[in-house]
Parts: sequence; C-alpha cells; structure tokens
Amino acid sequence: MPDAGGYEKFKVGIDVGGTFTDFFLTVNGGAPQIHKVLSTPGDPSVAVMQGLKDLAAMQQPAMTATEFAGRIETIVHGTTVTTNATLTRQGAKSGLITTAGLRDALEMRRGIREEQYDNRYTNVDPVVPRYLRVGVEGRLDRSGREVVPLNLDQVRAAVELFKAEGVKAIAICFINSFANPDHEKAAADLVRAEYPDAYLTVSSDLLPSIRFYERLSTTALNSYVGPILEHYLDQLQGRLNEVGFGGILLIMQSNGGVMSPEIARQGAAKTLLSGPAAGPGAGLVYAKAQDQTSCIVVDMGGTSFEAALVIDGPVMVNHGEIDRLRIALPMLGIHTIGAGGGSIGRIDQGGLLRVGPQSAASDPGPACYGKGGALPTTTDANLVLGYLDPEYFAGGKIALDVEASRRAIAEHIAVPLGISVEKAAAGMYRVACNNMAQGVREVTIKRGFDPREFPVVVAGGAGPIHSCLICQELGIPLQIVPRESSILCAVGMLMSDLKHDFVRTFVAWLDKLDYVALNAVVDEMKGEGAQMLKAEHIPPARQEHFVKFDCRYHKQYHEVSFVIPANALAAHDAGAIASAFHSEHNRLYGYSLEELGTGIEIVNVRVQSIGRVKKLTADQSKARSKSARHAKKGDRQIYLPESESFVLSPVYDGSQLQPGNRITGPAMIEEATTAIFVSRDFECAVDTLGSFIIFTRGREDLVKSLRKDAHR
Amino acid sequence: MTAVDPILASVYARLFKSITDEMSLSVEKTARSPILCEAKDFVTGLYDADGKMLEQTENLPILAFSLAPVCKYIKDYFGNDIHPGDVIFHNDVFSLGNQNNDVAVYKPVFSGETLVGWVAVKGHQADIGGNVRGGYNPNAKEVWQEALRIPPVKVYECGKIRKDVWELIFANIRLDIVEHDMRAQMGACNVGERRLLGIIEKYGLESYNAHKQYLFDASRKMIEAEIAQIPDGTYAGEGMVYFDGHHEGSKFTIRVEITVAGNSITFDYSKTDRQTDGFVNGTFTSSASATILTLLQMVNPGIPHNEGMVEPIKITIPEGTILNASYPKATTFGNHLCPPNADAIIRALAPVIPDRVTAGWNNLLCSLTTGLDAEKNEPYVDIGFMGLKGGSGAMNGTDGYDHIGMIDASGGVLDQDYEMFEQMTPHLLEKHEYITDSGGAGCWRGGLGVETRFTIGSEDTQLVTFGDGDFEPAFGLFGGHDSILNIIELTYPDGTKIVPKNKDLITGVPKGTRYRQIAGGGGGYGDPKKRDREILRREVRNGMISAKVACEVYGLEG
Repeated sequence: MPDAGGYEKFKVGIDVGGTFTDFFLTVNGGAPQIHKVLSTPGDPSVAVMQGLKDLAAMQQPAMTATEFAGRIETIVHGTTVTTNATLTRQGAKSGLITTAGLRDALEMRRGIREEQYDNRYTNVDPVVPRYLRVGVEGRLDRSGREVVPLNLDQVRAAVELFKAEGVKAIAICFINSFANPDHEKAAADLVRAEYPDAYLTVSSDLLPSIRFYERLSTTALNSYVGPILEHYLDQLQGRLNEVGFGGILLIMQSNGGVMSPEIARQGAAKTLLSGPAAGPGAGLVYAKAQDQTSCIVVDMGGTSFEAALVIDGPVMVNHGEIDRLRIALPMLGIHTIGAGGGSIGRIDQGGLLRVGPQSAASDPGPACYGKGGALPTTTDANLVLGYLDPEYFAGGKIALDVEASRRAIAEHIAVPLGISVEKAAAGMYRVACNNMAQGVREVTIKRGFDPREFPVVVAGGAGPIHSCLICQELGIPLQIVPRESSILCAVGMLMSDLKHDFVRTFVAWLDKLDYVALNAVVDEMKGEGAQMLKAEHIPPARQEHFVKFDCRYHKQYHEVSFVIPANALAAHDAGAIASAFHSEHNRLYGYSLEELGTGIEIVNVRVQSIGRVKKLTADQSKARSKSARHAKKGDRQIYLPESESFVLSPVYDGSQLQPGNRITGPAMIEEATTAIFVSRDFECAVDTLGSFIIFTRGREDLVKSLRKDAHR
Repeated sequence: MTAVDPILASVYARLFKSITDEMSLSVEKTARSPILCEAKDFVTGLYDADGKMLEQTENLPILAFSLAPVCKYIKDYFGNDIHPGDVIFHNDVFSLGNQNNDVAVYKPVFSGETLVGWVAVKGHQADIGGNVRGGYNPNAKEVWQEALRIPPVKVYECGKIRKDVWELIFANIRLDIVEHDMRAQMGACNVGERRLLGIIEKYGLESYNAHKQYLFDASRKMIEAEIAQIPDGTYAGEGMVYFDGHHEGSKFTIRVEITVAGNSITFDYSKTDRQTDGFVNGTFTSSASATILTLLQMVNPGIPHNEGMVEPIKITIPEGTILNASYPKATTFGNHLCPPNADAIIRALAPVIPDRVTAGWNNLLCSLTTGLDAEKNEPYVDIGFMGLKGGSGAMNGTDGYDHIGMIDASGGVLDQDYEMFEQMTPHLLEKHEYITDSGGAGCWRGGLGVETRFTIGSEDTQLVTFGDGDFEPAFGLFGGHDSILNIIELTYPDGTKIVPKNKDLITGVPKGTRYRQIAGGGGGYGDPKKRDREILRREVRNGMISAKVACEVYGLEG
C-alpha cells in the first residue's frame, strides 16, 4: 500500500538459524526477494542489521539503510536466543521461591532417567542451582484452601539472598497455586517492592494449570531466559531505531503465532521452541493453492528434520521439552529428529547400517566439502547418487569433491559390508529416508491420522532430494515444493497471526457443569486476550477467541484436548461437548467409552486469542505451455530407488521453469538453494504460484491445474 | 529363502521399535491406574510366530524379559487352537509369570490364515484379588492368599468376547479400573497388530522371516562381542535378603557363580538359599529378568533388544530356591529380589570388569496406602513411588544418579506429580527432597536418596510395606563408601511412633498420622579424597554434601 509519500511499503521476515539468517522481503506489486547472511551467534542482531543493509543495497535503485528502514512497515522476527541460552546454560542467574519441602522438584524431574540401561547417562543441570531454590512456609490444599499462612519473612530472606548472590531473575511457584493464586500474588508483591530490578515470573500468571512439576519447570525456564530475551530485544530495537525504523516489530512464538516485543518480554519461554514454528503455517498457504486445507510440512536442514501436521491450521500440543526440561505451554506439534544433510552414516557392532543422529554439522561438514570431514554423510551419499551437481551446489558457491565422498563411504560403509560404494550410498539414502518417514509417522499415525490423506509440503535445502522416497515409504501420492522452500520459515513469519494462549484449571463433571462459573472463567481469559491484542493494535473486528477443554473419562489420568463446538457453551450443550470429546479420544487411542456412559471430567479450560493480520498473498501467474524443454540444462546419471540402478536423466534449471510446465520422472530440478529429485514413479507440474507439484504417476486428479485440464 | 538385504534389515529394526513404542504410548495415555499411566509400570512387546522377541519397549525392565517365555508357553498350551481374533490373558506365576499383579494380554497376529507373530502388553494392575487390596500381602504363605491365578485363558475367541470368562475374572478383582486398564492393554495390542500386518503386507512374509533372523543374528553378535571382553573364568558373588515377612531376624543369601567362556556367559544360582515360607520368593522369570537387566547395564546400551541378545546368556536357578519357588508358594515379592540379585552379580564381576560395574544401588522399600477419600467419597490406592526412589551406585568416571529408584526400574518409574498425588489421595505432602550426604562418598559419589513426609488424610487407612534396604545399605566399591539405610515410620496423632517391618501390613492407621520415609542413596566408587575439589565445593554450597563430611570424609580444606 503506498504511504502518504507515494512509496511502496516493505515487509520483512527474518529467521535466525544456526548457520544462516534468512530474509524474505515483500513489497506490494513486486516480486519477493530472498537473502541469506551468515548468522552471528555472539550477537544475532549484527547479522540482522547486515542483512537489512544488504537488502537496501539490492533495491533498484540502491537505498541507504536509513532510507530502506524508514519504509519498512513490519518486521517479523524469529529468534533462537532463548533456545540457545537454554541449550548452553547461558541463561540469567536465577532464584526460585517455592513451597517449603519441595525445592528439589525442579532438579529431580520426577526421577526419570531417559536411558535406562546406560549408567553413564547423567541428569541435566537445573536452570536454578539448589542453593538458590528457597522453600518458604505457606500451604494451600488441593482445593486452594489455606492450610498454613504464607511466611513473608521467609520470602524477604530469600530476596535478600538473591540480591547478595547477584540473581537477575526470580521464579515463584507454590503447590496448588492453580487453585488459588493468593500466596503467589503476595510473594510477588513483596519481590516487586524489594527487588524491582529482578525479572519475575509467577507461575499462576504464566500457567495457572494443574501439575506441579510442569508449571514449576515452565516458570523457572521463563525466568531463566527472560533477561536474555530482554537484553536481545533492547539491542535489536536500539539498532533498528538507529537506522530510523518506525514500523511494527513482531516476535515469533512456539505456538506459530507472533507477539509484540512487550509481551515477549513477559513470557520469554514462549519463544523457546519457536525456531521451526513459522514453517507449518506457510506450508498451508502453498497447499491451499492446490485446494488442500490440510498438509504435512517437512523441513530438512543440515542437522535436523522437522515434521508437522496442519489441519486447517497447524496442530497444537500442550507441552514439549527442551534439553530434557519440560515446557508446558501450547506449541505447534513439531517433531524433530537428528536427520539432515550432515547426518553421519556408520556400521554398528551388529553390522547394521545407521545414519545419524550424529552430525558433521557445518564444521568439518560432509567429506565432500573438503574441510577435513572424513566421515560419510547424507550429503556425500546424495552426491554419489547424482542428486547433487558438484559444480552447482548452493548455486555454484561451494565446489563439492565427489572422490572425497566416495572414499568416506567406501571406508566406513561399503568395505565393511562388502558392497559397492554406490550400493552403500543408496543404503544410506534409504535409511535416512526411512528415519524421516518415521518422523512423519510421529506426527500422523501416532496421533491417529493417516499420512496418505495429506499432501506433503517440502522445505529445507535438502528436503526435496528425499521427499519422493519418504512419500513412497508412507504411500503419500502428492508433494508440494514451494519456490521459497529453502527459507520457508522466513516466509511463514509474514503469514502469522498474533496469537495468545491462556489456561485455567477448572475441575468439574461435564454433566453437572456450572455454566455461569465456567463462562466467567472463559470470559476472563478472553478479556485478557482482547486486552493484549488491543495493545498490539488489533481492532475487535480482527480478533477471534477459541475455547478448548482438556477432558478425561472418570478415573483416567491424562487428558485429551479438543475444541469446543461453537455456541455449545452459550447453549449449555453438554451433549455436543461430550461427542466432540468421544470422537477425539477415539481418533487418538482407537476407542471411546461413549457406549458405557462413563462420566467425563473437565480438568483445564483453554482460550486461544487470535489477532488476524493482513497476510502476504502470493502472486499467481498464468499457466504457460506444458513443455519444459527450454529449461533443460543437460543429462546426468542418477540413482533410482525404484529400479536400484543408475539411469541417465534430464536436469532442469528450476529458475527457467514456468507455471504449466510439466516434467516426467526421473529428473532433477536445480535451484540456487535447493535440488529437487523427481523419481521414476512421479511426475512434476509447476502450479500458478510457481510451486513444483510432484505427484505419483497417473494421479493427475490430485493436481488442481491438471484436474481442470481433465474437465475441459 | 529370500536374500537378506542388510539395508532393509535396518529398516525392519526401526519399524519394529516404532511398533512397540506406539503400543506403549497407547497404554500410557489411556490407562487409569497411576501405576500404569504415571509410573509406567508396564511393557509392550512384539514376537514372531514362535514367540521369539522381535522388539520390546521396556518401561520397567524387570517385566521385560518375562513376556517372551510366556508367549512360547501359550503357543504350546493352545497348540493348534489359536485363531485370528483370539485374545489371551495370563498372570500365573507357576506357568512362567513373574508377578501376580503383572497381568499380560497376548494377541496372535495372523496374515490371512498364517500365524505371523504376537503382540503383548504386560502391566501391573491396581488390584488382582487375593486377601489384600492392591495385591501385596506380607502374610501370605500360598499363592491363593495373594491373588487370582490366571493361567493362559482366552477372553476373546475368534474375535468374540467370552463374556462368562471375562466376568469370572473381574468378579474376583476389587477395583473396576482394572477392567478398564486391561481394555487399554488390549487396545494397544490392536495398535501393534495393525502395524505388523501393514509391514508384512508391504514387504511380504518371506522377507519378514528372513530379515528377522538377520536381526536376531546382529544382536547376538553384539552381545557376544561384549561378553568376549570379559576375561574367561568363574566368579562368585553374594547378595542378602532380610526378613521373609514371618520370622523376625530371618535372612537369606543369593549366591551366583558366573562362568564366562569365550562369548557365552552362564549364571548359576545353585548355591542360593532355599525358598521362604512367606511371600519373599522369586519366580524363575522374575529372577532371570533381573539377571539379564543387570548384565545389560554392564554392556553397550545400544544393542537392539531381541531374541538374539538373550541367546548367549544361560541361567540356572534350581526350583525350591528363594529365586525360583516351587508350587504353591507365595511369590509377590519376587520382582523385588532383583536388587540383592544385582548386588551378587556386581560383586562377582567387579574385580574383573571394574570399569563397567556400578557400586550398589539403593534397594527398594515401598509403601502402599489404601483407604477412603472422604471428601470425594471414593476409595483410593497409592503406591508411594516418589518415596521409594533412592540413588544409584557410582561407577568409575560417573557419579550415581540422584533419586532414580531401584535397579530393576533404572529411572523408568516416575514420581507422582505432587499436585496429582493430592488430587488422587486425601494426603497432604510436606516434604520430598534430596537428603544431604545420602550418596555414598567416593571419588565418584553415589546418587542421592530422598526424604518424603506427608500427612495421611483418611481414617482407618491400610498401609502395606514391602522391600528391604533397612538392614544393609547400598555398598561402596574400591574405597567408595556405603550409603544410608531405608526407613519408613509413622507418627500417630496421639504421638505413638510405629516403625513397620520391611514387609508388613498395618491397618487402622488414623487420619492425621505423619508418614516419614527415607530412601537411601547409592554406593560410592573409589577414594573420596580423590574427588574433584571444584565439584565438591559446588556440592557443599548446594547442600548435597555437608561441610562436615566434605572436610572429614573427602578431606576438603577450607
């Protein structure tokens, strides 16, 4: 939209990754621009500013950073500073005030050792050391009734200790505070009065729901990373102000939504698993261009592979983990496994081939990088199999050494198994694909969904080389590879709504529900959401609030989370709520107890408040001719898993392919940041967004444009 | 014979593991008893047509190696009378069951008319009939005072429920959640069945058969390579069991002779003491399971667990010993003979593989409270998982794990969440914290134990204790020190103090009684004076080790 001066306004999505910081720039009426710079882990905002400067210079005509920044309307920013601070235990020095007698729960993690047979497997360091975990007198019972009054003198003494020890962040979490926050509020008031500079997290503010360890762990993590995120945002906002940025800055959250920096400062833990969170929403946009409302989004990078399920919107879960520490905040159900281009292949003691989770990362990297790596990686296998062009990796910026790959595979895989290098490489490829297919199973079959019913949106530089075999393994007939697949998260950031999650424990029988009390709780959460969205400049017309219940059958221990049908609360329609619960339970676990008439208990009530933002809309182009001949670069020998042999296959320049063009497998399509392998049993058509639609031969019916052709 | 493709074999290995994991998730999320869904006291398994183990998910290792022998037993028992749609229950300890409460569901998997495998789930049920609610009866002398015996019995035949049999079983069990939990176990078997059939449909039966044998061979090679690293010879060790539930001061010795010859290993328990006339007796499967899991902690933890892995391990336990009671002896305590059995094995092998063994682990001492939650007017049963989990023994190069629990669970059994504990029982939790100095001192210290205190919230409460570790603490190795003893004690509202015996049944415990439990730590390894000083100072600061012990035992200056 032109502003008063008649200029086009920019929007920028910025995704800070481990190796690269990705930029996706849009301007109304023009083609989007993609840019990547090397990340600067010491201070990630340095890379952010460098990238913006580069983008300014890339404009026609070139701009100064200040000119450019002045025209940016919105920056959506995904940051992993909290993630990295936790993984490396570089968070703020933190103190915990908790219930007397229970101060070790944080470190005990309920007494789990994840590796049962490995006596060398040690516990993880807690984010608050024991001497800074202070138990104070004061006790509420399971219904929130006071048993012992809070001892404020002990709270004060704790604060004195924290001051003396230079603690920067404080967490408060008392048992049963989900039922009554009074003790926590009183302790918090005292902390604020006595030590206003400390970053404070109160469990009943952040997460007023039952299960002590989960609430405690989440609260402590929030404090641990709070000052880190504050410091980072100070730096970033300072630098942006310096260059005259006056637009809106939004921060990516683990739940796939965005939030203002002010709200992020309060709930820093909400960014802990936000790294891949923008991908699934973006995937859906490309799927929608194919008239699909659901999809599986997979993203394969250098060290990890992420899979997520999207049904109308990304599927949410109510908790997750970082470095074996629990986070009980709603987040996208993204499953991550250690499989990427850098995953190392090896033969175990029993003679079985394994690939990953160990990774050669970027240093020393795969053997073919020639940077000293001697172990065979997935990238090495891909090179031997012909999926990568040694002359055209990363658009020709990195030359690959095929002989180094062959040597590594020969020594570590082929010779020990007594097979050829090609067969060994094919084996690594197959095992890697099988591992990734398992990752897709985690988010589909394990949650009661059939993967064959969903198209797969493929992202990440290495994703589209493997997706055909992954899809064959799972019987999935349709893949979508967006043009922007290598920076899908940065794209997704410009498509994300503002999103805030709330939860209250509200234990009640569904058939004896006090709707007045329940609606009061729901309205309170909605009110909070509306207020936050208002502060983020979202008018009521663009606000939406969804209600979810966590329910269980009588005497069950775990809950099932599901969306309450619209109007069920207003209409006091317990029957509609019950049938939504039965069907979700049945879908997840293969049965329901509907026929037995077992009682249903509500445990938690949740509200998700969404502020709709104006989405990036991808430009559609007109379809051209079917022929792709103009884009053909040449031929090379490529390994086909279907026939287990090498076949001379055409290679196309992806940048030359246009909507409507069709390619029959086997073929390679090369782009500057990715390579796409269309295997023998597949075909590819370019859709009007420019995405590569790869489908099982004979299944034209799945592809929108081809379906239309068929109608004519 | 189909040619074996080593690559496809890796794929099969991954698929089998994913099946048992999925089955496990299904039970965890749908069961009702906290013993299953919080403490995960269950295992899931996948077996071939002959009952050979393809893969297991072993939340509680002591149960894990008791599924396959029963699978073979059931197959022989029914002979040709096994059909698609059959579902078989089993718990009987005199037909290879490990513990009465651990009830298994077995389901044969048919591809068309051909039996291609079995899926099974075994879980610890909240009640199994017998004299005492919850199943632990320290006064029992015979199996009938302990439990309902379930020899192999079909509850579904050709897909049709045998309503009469079903009702007979559940008419003899107190809590209705057991019926629901058995349904959850059956549901998980359905999940496993669907997945196995999907794989066979995709790759073909011949390929499945050829590759499973390849996987057995791979695991066998791995374990053989590990055994070969243990010097040949015969090594003896002992572990002690204190109190049989009946005779004050009674104690029993588990004696093992381990013979290593090349790549095979034999555990011979012939010199072990005779069985008791109480419930402190093992069954062959519970004892053999204990032997296997202890050995597995001394070898590469990455070996896939299947039939091939257990093949080179030979175990001899004569009937009539405390580790293999004869009919109709009481045996509910049998799983908990794992800690002294492990002690015997560790002591035997420590001199020859000093870098692979740990010092002694804290032995289990457990309590189970039952009563009426008056506020809800509902009965409750609680196994005090959070209270029983002590520390593990240290090993060369690694400290023991704090608050991990007995060796037969190895960190697989979780504490009740504190708030869920107070929702599910009328008790009020007062303390659950590490105990300073409870880890046996050493260059590598033992894992810390915990102290648990709560106020009992029901009138006329019944408390059962079972366990050990209150006479002999976890032992140190190579100059490392022992840990501290387990304790359970009750203080009634009138001030009366009661210290239950380690196998005891106390009734009529009044509301307001204070419960206190100490779970000791693990043993230390090596000379405490050699412990890293920086770590030591940090531990003093954190109160894991007191300043006094740091100075006097560890020799920390300043």
